[in-house]
Amino acid sequence: MKDILIKVVDVAVQKFGAKYAEVRAQRLFKTMLTLKEGRVEAAKRGIENGAALRVLVNGAWGFASVGALDVKTLTDAVSDACKMAKAASSRLKTPIRLIETKTVEDKVEVKPRKDPSKIPIEDKIKTTLSMSDTILGYDNRVKSCTIDYLDLTGTNYFINNEGTFVEQDKLYVWSRITATATEASIFTFSREEIGSTSGYEIFDVETPEIVGERVAKRAVEQLKAKPPKGGTFPAVLGPNVVGVFVHEAFGHLAEADLTLSGSVLLGKLGKKIASDVVTFYDDGTIEGAFGSFKYDDEGVPAQKTLLVKDGVVAGLMHSRETAQKFNAKPTGNARAEDFRVEPIIRMRNTFMEPKDYSFQELVEDIKFGYYFKSFRGGQANLDGTFQVGIQEAYEIVNGEVGEPVRNASISGNTLETLHKVVAVGKDFELWPGRCGKGQTAFTCDGGPHIRVKEVLVGGSA
Amino acid sequence: MVVLKKEEMLSSAEDAVSFALKKGADEAEAFAYQGLTANVTIERGQIARSSRIIDRGLGVRVIIDKAVGFSYTNMMESKAAIEETVIKALSSARASKPDEGWRGLPFKKPFASVENTYDSNIVDLRSEDLVKIASVMLDAAEKKDKRVFPIEGGAGASYLSQAIANSNGIVSFDHGTIIECSLATIAREGSEVTPVCFEFSAERSYNIDPEWVGEEAARLAVSALKAKKIETKSTSVIFTQFTLQQLLYYTLINAVKADYVQRNQSAFKGKIGETVASKIVTIYDDGLFNSGLRTWKFDGEGVPQQKTLIIENGVLRNFIYDNYTAKKEGKESTGNAIRAGYLSTPNVDATNFHLMAGSKSPEELIGEVDEGLLVYYLQGAHSSNPASGEFSVVVTPAWRIRNGEIAYATKGVMLAGNVFHVLKSISALANNERKIGQLVAPWVLVENVKVVGK
Repeated sequence: MKDILIKVVDVAVQKFGAKYAEVRAQRLFKTMLTLKEGRVEAAKRGIENGAALRVLVNGAWGFASVGALDVKTLTDAVSDACKMAKAASSRLKTPIRLIETKTVEDKVEVKPRKDPSKIPIEDKIKTTLSMSDTILGYDNRVKSCTIDYLDLTGTNYFINNEGTFVEQDKLYVWSRITATATEASIFTFSREEIGSTSGYEIFDVETPEIVGERVAKRAVEQLKAKPPKGGTFPAVLGPNVVGVFVHEAFGHLAEADLTLSGSVLLGKLGKKIASDVVTFYDDGTIEGAFGSFKYDDEGVPAQKTLLVKDGVVAGLMHSRETAQKFNAKPTGNARAEDFRVEPIIRMRNTFMEPKDYSFQELVEDIKFGYYFKSFRGGQANLDGTFQVGIQEAYEIVNGEVGEPVRNASISGNTLETLHKVVAVGKDFELWPGRCGKGQTAFTCDGGPHIRVKEVLVGGSA
Repeated sequence: MVVLKKEEMLSSAEDAVSFALKKGADEAEAFAYQGLTANVTIERGQIARSSRIIDRGLGVRVIIDKAVGFSYTNMMESKAAIEETVIKALSSARASKPDEGWRGLPFKKPFASVENTYDSNIVDLRSEDLVKIASVMLDAAEKKDKRVFPIEGGAGASYLSQAIANSNGIVSFDHGTIIECSLATIAREGSEVTPVCFEFSAERSYNIDPEWVGEEAARLAVSALKAKKIETKSTSVIFTQFTLQQLLYYTLINAVKADYVQRNQSAFKGKIGETVASKIVTIYDDGLFNSGLRTWKFDGEGVPQQKTLIIENGVLRNFIYDNYTAKKEGKESTGNAIRAGYLSTPNVDATNFHLMAGSKSPEELIGEVDEGLLVYYLQGAHSSNPASGEFSVVVTPAWRIRNGEIAYATKGVMLAGNVFHVLKSISALANNERKIGQLVAPWVLVENVKVVGK
């Protein structure tokens, strides 16, 4: 494989004068299952072979993707990419340059205790079926249950004209579990995700029974929940909600491409944007976590990146292109979903650092507010407007967690809200998820429980 | 990579089906997909990249004793790879559990004609042409106002083709084109940054308007400056197509899918014939919509696409079906089995979800509002409760309407409500119908929406 890739890179540099050329070749194997109320809709398996070719010619990017790995196809594709870069460069004002990085030659093998590619599909059906049984058997008000399962294994070959060559195994195990419950005219909805890069052994910890009960219990308990009041309230956010807040409300704005596009973090490096108790990391090195990998899709080693230290912006997440613009060190955040797309800046495992409060201390002096425990989705805008939908919430009344609340969502401005973080808990959880930015990336996010002085709560009609 | 022709697409699908039957499948279906896409991308005010993506493959679904197995490959030129894919699908089916609800693959039926879904001018476009389209758009935006910063966007052209064969004699091919351009902008003044504003144009034939997209994206961003907070209250709201698409995608569209209805996940279960919307609301799922972004001759199972009445003058008339959910009720598929290319088995989904327009101009619609909001974009619709229709979203931005005129942009405003109540509270429809994703709709005026402000 390496010989073919070297030839292809040479064509770009020698024949077309590319300043930079890279090839990312992949062989991927997937197993997928969809279960609806315990019915296996289809047992699915697939193979994908393909290559992504990216070049810099005359200061502009050219990119081609093909579903083949033979030298002829790849040579044609890299020539195409060079011609396209030339066409794009005709309107260029500022040529694109890349920060220098150390070249790497490495082979990264994953050694799962339970390799999903070696586990028979029958076993995967059994695991998901038992999850489904747990959910449907939990309570007769649970009306539906959908389980998606995916495992992805394979090898990624990365080469560039600077001398980097990385052969890296890929391994992901993922499942999304949703349930609905109904009583009278009330519909509730509950979801969980499981995700790991360590192996199929994730199901030894997140067993079908544990996860199934978590999903079903929430759907049923939400039936007796009441709608929230709309307005501004003090709130305690659980690790799962803190995670999505750090990811959505702050993380995206600290992706250097979006920072450059004019996010509210532009020009804020070294500036205080949050209360003293706020420290954020984006860490690609946590073993087995869903957002971890050794090298990113530009051949840069993943690292633990400090984003905010005691309320001050300490760094951004970079590709080689944005690192050059900021004159910063590359952070290993350039990721591509597969060979069909270009690497872009993505988060890995993003979290808030825990401090010293117990949960009791966080809630005890709140007269009336909300405890937001688990999220259902979130989104942010460059101006710092964020929204996080909540699937599990409770009232806090006189310092005690009270009745459940349904279909709440919180919103605000990221920078204003970060200054209102008044206390940070000592616990810590990391939750797997998937992030969409045109492409899908596997990530984790999390943190401790925190208290926010006030946040806007979207009530119900 | 060479583009695969109609005959090659068809024969690889047919070969896979006959090989599957030979190897013991009770039934078999193969779906071949090919997508050729060229893009030119704008990043932070300049055209910075161009790309070409060739993606094709074959997905094979087989049934053995009512158990369904599926496998795919993206190596379509290799006979060995296709045979291996068939073998994998068979072994998956053998490993799986029988589905007692399985009633067989569909049979061949004649297709209706579709118009304006293929344009050879799009196939012939070169990168240079796309650079030109993107330049026109960029120039139009920058000329409009100095405070505007085009953050991202671009122009793209695609040629898509699909072929299907099954063991009931279906053998069909269709192809089409799509061209689009889009621009996302923000405006900056002093320390104020607006939320992202966005415009686009997408068509099946080569008649997009990049100049309009650029001007409009810039105009919206500038008018989002000087945003103010507003009070919490219930008020009239005009939803644009961007916001309708977001809100309906996660709620109403799911509620009319037979899959959701049969699985007790739809608030519309048992409500055929009942009033579910204001009487001015009529909605079709129109798989044959002239130049529709999701118009094809046949769906992901080879069933003819069709025009299905969903809501007529506020009354719920029909749900949308694929073959599986239709057979379960002794009905015929409505041609709503949608695939994600070759990578998946089909799922029930809308084609062109067409909310019929009214007769008022957008200006007249605004003119009818004494006190309200014009909501252009929103965030967080994906966190709606898909079963109940309840939503709680933030609008970024919206414009306040006072005495029939747009007064100013708002910030920090949330909307809360239930999509099914919103449908019943629609009081007027504009005449400015447009296509966005799977939605075809005009602006709609809705009464009594809860607006959560300061």
